[in-house]
Amino acid sequence: MEAIKKRPALLSFICILGYIWIVFSFPGVFSPSVKKLGDWYPALFGLLVAASFISFIGVWHMKRWGVELYVLTFFTKQIVFYLLDDMSFMGIFFSVVFISCFVPFYRRMDPNL
Amino acid sequence: MFIRLLTPPCPSPICFAAGEGNCLIQTHFALHLFMLFLTLLKESVFFAINALVTNKLRTFLSLLGITIGIFSIIIVFTVIDSLERNIHKTVASLGDNVIFVEKWPWNFDPEQPWWTYLQRPVVDYTELEEVLRKSDGAESGAFAIRGNRTVQYKSSSIENVNILCVSHNFDRVKTFDVADGRYFTEIESAAGRPVAIIGDALAEALFPGFSPVGQTIKIGGAKAVVVGVLKKEGESILGGTMDTQVMVPVNYARSLVDIRNDDVDPRIYVRAKPGVTNDDLIDELQGIMRSIRKLKPLEEDNFALNQTSLLSTQFDSLFGIVGTVGWVIGGLSILVGGFGIANIMFVSVKERTNLIGIQKSLGAKNYFILFQFLSESVFLSLIGGLFGLLLIYILIALFGSSIPLEVTMTKSNVILGLTISILVGVISGFVPAYGASQLDPVEAIRAT
Repeated sequence: MEAIKKRPALLSFICILGYIWIVFSFPGVFSPSVKKLGDWYPALFGLLVAASFISFIGVWHMKRWGVELYVLTFFTKQIVFYLLDDMSFMGIFFSVVFISCFVPFYRRMDPNL
Repeated sequence: MFIRLLTPPCPSPICFAAGEGNCLIQTHFALHLFMLFLTLLKESVFFAINALVTNKLRTFLSLLGITIGIFSIIIVFTVIDSLERNIHKTVASLGDNVIFVEKWPWNFDPEQPWWTYLQRPVVDYTELEEVLRKSDGAESGAFAIRGNRTVQYKSSSIENVNILCVSHNFDRVKTFDVADGRYFTEIESAAGRPVAIIGDALAEALFPGFSPVGQTIKIGGAKAVVVGVLKKEGESILGGTMDTQVMVPVNYARSLVDIRNDDVDPRIYVRAKPGVTNDDLIDELQGIMRSIRKLKPLEEDNFALNQTSLLSTQFDSLFGIVGTVGWVIGGLSILVGGFGIANIMFVSVKERTNLIGIQKSLGAKNYFILFQFLSESVFLSLIGGLFGLLLIYILIALFGSSIPLEVTMTKSNVILGLTISILVGVISGFVPAYGASQLDPVEAIRAT
């Protein structure tokens, strides 16, 4: 059980980067530019930000659902951005790097909530 | 089977009515989950209300951040939306497919010396005729000047009334409605008959309780018969509402003012034909005006071609700045509010550690505890947000009628306010809620 709970330094670093990203992304939920995209977009964008935050907490606690939620959020985000014609290759790059870092540790993570 | 293992006994009255104690997942799956959700929600709301009631001051102070944050953001968006609506309404009434040929541009070129503008000649009525004759893209055009005069009816008089002197086709380039009476006839416009159409506010001030149509007024001492009253327009953020104006034929105004004077702000309105873009019409008008004024190829234009989009663009950038300021202030308040909610939830978890232990020892799953605290945090945050929205609603109800602008809280702003509240509740409540869900039941019961 102890082996499962021990978090590698790389994951700690990624989670801290993720938390910083959330701090900077959250105000975007109610920014005038996001509001202009449509009535539903701030809610959807906020949901994705909240899901990303929760997924980082999951990874921080070495839970598999954290990685699964992050991957699900990543794909949902890309679909939404594609539909809005607002794809960011830098964002995709970072997310892919994060997922690549999560995958080797996935088996060591706790499958429970 | 998987669901059966994860969930506590079904609270559905159907299952209990069937006397089975446990849910028949195959038949009542959706109902089971829904009832479970309702039970969790009921308990969470109960705990949240309990926390609110027992620690009123602490809860109030914690929710204040969210209330102020939602209030700041939504009030700024509400005011900006109302201003934008007003601007767009005004711009639409000016005509979004109308080009204004004038001496002065609405957007000054900072690199051009100011005296070059001053030296420009004013536009002339004869230029309108020439423009309409040569233009393929123009549907109609009008010439207008304006000035201030005292308007008098019997013993009542109003000083500094804006007199708009227009050529006949003015009603085809500017949108307005005549509520009582009629617009000028072509003969009245051409012959410069002493007729006038007055604004709604002016009609109410000079003719209280009776129709002004057919009455004779004096404009700067010259007589004119009122043939129409304009429909009430309301206040405009750009100024120049027609409610307080008097409209007369420009040929009648020739006897009152010098229509070539710079002070009367002469301008030509040209409306584009359907399918002709403003840019195309501007290109064409530039060529026509240059030929009318016999400008050499390298000479600068000595006229300005303005369009209403210039105004909306300037206002859009202003609204962008105001919106960003409101966003930053509101964002900081929400950040503080989020910490307040997180704090109250950590305290709540600490206070109820024993209870969590008992719940877990009785079979409550981790996700049950997680959801319980998370929905409590969302509920608290939502209350803060609702207070913020209520505050805006009260402010609009109290002061909305005393400002010259129709301010309304739109559905999208209410949704945005509630969305932000829910998200703040989720983000700030997740860590304490997850911590509570991970507690060891034995350790939790032992905790003092």
